Amino acid sequence: MKLTISHLRASVEGKEILHGVDMVIKSGEVHAVMGPNGSGKSTLASVLLGHPAYTVGTKGKKIASAILLDKKNILPLATEDRATAGLFLAFQSPIAIPGVTVMNLLRASYELRHAAKHPKKTEPVQNPVLARRFQVGSMPIGDFMNMVKAHAKTLRLSEDLLNRGIHDGFSGGERKKIEMLQALVLPHEFAVFDEIDTGLDVDALRAVSKGISVLRKKGVGVLIITHYQRILRYVKPDVVHILVAGNVVDTGDYTLAKKIETKGYGAYLS
Amino acid sequence: MKTKSPISGKYKYGFHKPEHYVFKSARGLDIEGVRNISLHKHEPAWMLERRVMAHMIFTKKALPTWGADLSTIKFDDIFYYIKPTDKKANRWEDLPPEIRDTYDRIGIPEAEKKFLAGVSAQYESEVVYKSIQSSLSKKGVIFLDMDSGLREYPDLVRQYFGTVIPSGDNKFAALNTSVWSGGSFVYVPKGVHVDLPLQAYFRINAANMGQFERTLIIAEEGSYVHYVEGCTAPIYSTDSLHSAVVEIIVKKGARVRYTTIQNWSNNVYNLVTKRARVEEEGAMEWVDGNLGSKVTMKYPSVYLMGRKARGEVLSIAYAGPNQHQDAGGKAVHYAPETTSQIISKSISRGGGRTSYRGLVEVFPGAHHCKSKVVCDALILDESSRSDTYPTMKIHEHETQIEHEATVSKIGDEQLFYLESRGISKPQAESMIVNGFIEPIVRELPLEYAVEMNRLIQLQMEGSVG
Repeated sequence: MKLTISHLRASVEGKEILHGVDMVIKSGEVHAVMGPNGSGKSTLASVLLGHPAYTVGTKGKKIASAILLDKKNILPLATEDRATAGLFLAFQSPIAIPGVTVMNLLRASYELRHAAKHPKKTEPVQNPVLARRFQVGSMPIGDFMNMVKAHAKTLRLSEDLLNRGIHDGFSGGERKKIEMLQALVLPHEFAVFDEIDTGLDVDALRAVSKGISVLRKKGVGVLIITHYQRILRYVKPDVVHILVAGNVVDTGDYTLAKKIETKGYGAYLS
Repeated sequence: MKTKSPISGKYKYGFHKPEHYVFKSARGLDIEGVRNISLHKHEPAWMLERRVMAHMIFTKKALPTWGADLSTIKFDDIFYYIKPTDKKANRWEDLPPEIRDTYDRIGIPEAEKKFLAGVSAQYESEVVYKSIQSSLSKKGVIFLDMDSGLREYPDLVRQYFGTVIPSGDNKFAALNTSVWSGGSFVYVPKGVHVDLPLQAYFRINAANMGQFERTLIIAEEGSYVHYVEGCTAPIYSTDSLHSAVVEIIVKKGARVRYTTIQNWSNNVYNLVTKRARVEEEGAMEWVDGNLGSKVTMKYPSVYLMGRKARGEVLSIAYAGPNQHQDAGGKAVHYAPETTSQIISKSISRGGGRTSYRGLVEVFPGAHHCKSKVVCDALILDESSRSDTYPTMKIHEHETQIEHEATVSKIGDEQLFYLESRGISKPQAESMIVNGFIEPIVRELPLEYAVEMNRLIQLQMEGSVG
């Protein structure tokens, strides 16, 4: 599969942040988007999933913005439909939702993504609530929970967290790991990691990086948005994009990231 | 209006008991109407006297000046006594489409739907009720509708009726006492533990639900019973006023749990007085869920009369468009070392209004008692409203009283987060709401908890109410 970001313009409160970003990510590839603060990196992540605060502007422009999954333009789709179409976003600073447990969220999301992929052929049942109770997608609930717990273990996440309101009172590191856990559990084609590396200690960074490698092996296309190239030592990207002031100013291979490490973004700033 | 002799009434269903005659009082309420109710039920003289006295109190007492707006109740337009058999004459097809639709969406079986809608009685349930009855009576447990209770155990009823909630307590308690019909009578002998919850469902099937239900539960020393009434499916009613009274006597070391889930249709004023008297080391637990209705005023109360008595009120209220849920709880500490806990969770959406109203009162001498009140409100949109009216009257120094209140809203970032996981906005909202009420829902019997979650989901989708 192919995720094509084509001439993406986005503004918030009338101010344009992204001035026409182009990028093509193929299944199994890892891309990194690097850039200084305020360059529009996080905007890119939010706009891909259709955050309501941003307007994607095509008005008066000659070239229309588009986000294509293969040939399908998902830009007109609502956030939840982009998600079930195959996009996943790991948030930079995810919000707490008291009462919605990690396990419940995983379950609901897994079911919806599964249902979108496998149009249902379930037989009519008397009580849909009861019928759904013991299954997640096509998986018995026990198997599903074991799968979640196994992933949690590799991330060194305490099982207790799974039954707590998501991110509610979680530490910074726990939040990042819970985002990673969702990336591992939920089926998707393309994943965006928005500064997953900030605030992580070396062990956590290693665990998260390992998660990204697992996704890559499964054929997921990955977009890592990062300020530093620290995480790129653990996950070697296929392509590196430099985003400055809402424009992709350079694209290259891993050596580009190394260049940034030694020389900074100075060369791109006018 | 039309009054038939008790004997000439035709039974629509073969299993109906002979006393199911058809009688409908005139609109409005006068002393003659009250007398007629009692006469038609062949009640003992003392009950007739109670009814008449209560009617006098009702006519004299003013409406409460606090709480929800009740000024639109037209007392003169209400039928105060209709034999339930009549009400059941409705056909399934006569129900409003939104009610039928809700039943379909909750996914309850056809026969059950019709029962819940008050359309027909079910033979199967009658059988279940009978078998429950026989196993209970072996233990000496009495589980009857209130009319039968009065007929079969007049002395027991006379001993306790109106002792916890006297007619003069409030206008609606007086109204209920003067015109009550239906409700449950439960007696649990000393030391007996009733293992399965007593479901009013079965009892109602046999005797039907009344507009002015009267329930009396007596738990003798060291006994235990869990009584469950109501269901999550909306109860369609043409009656616009429902005013029940529930009295519970918890004797020394006994424990009673009373679970209610009610979802009246949106034209109903639901004004209920519920109170338990708890003696030494006894425990009373109210679990109260209020959905639906136009106006609900309900504050389950515990009167802690004996040393170390314990009382708990768990309350959920959901108010949608044009609804006002004024609910909460009341704990009155009369004795030392008594403990109480009131936990209230309310949700308002689409212009709905919820109010928490609570009272904690500690009388002199009730030293070393503890009380904890937690009220949490969740407001789903700008047009909805939530208020808190906590009252504390503490007349004893050595007490420990806690009060916590929170108000929260669902934020756009929370919705975006869940949407980014593939969850639609209505489903996201219902997940948040279900998470919010989970601490109380987990106290419900499983089938109610499942239906409750499903119902919240339907409400969020805007397809109900």
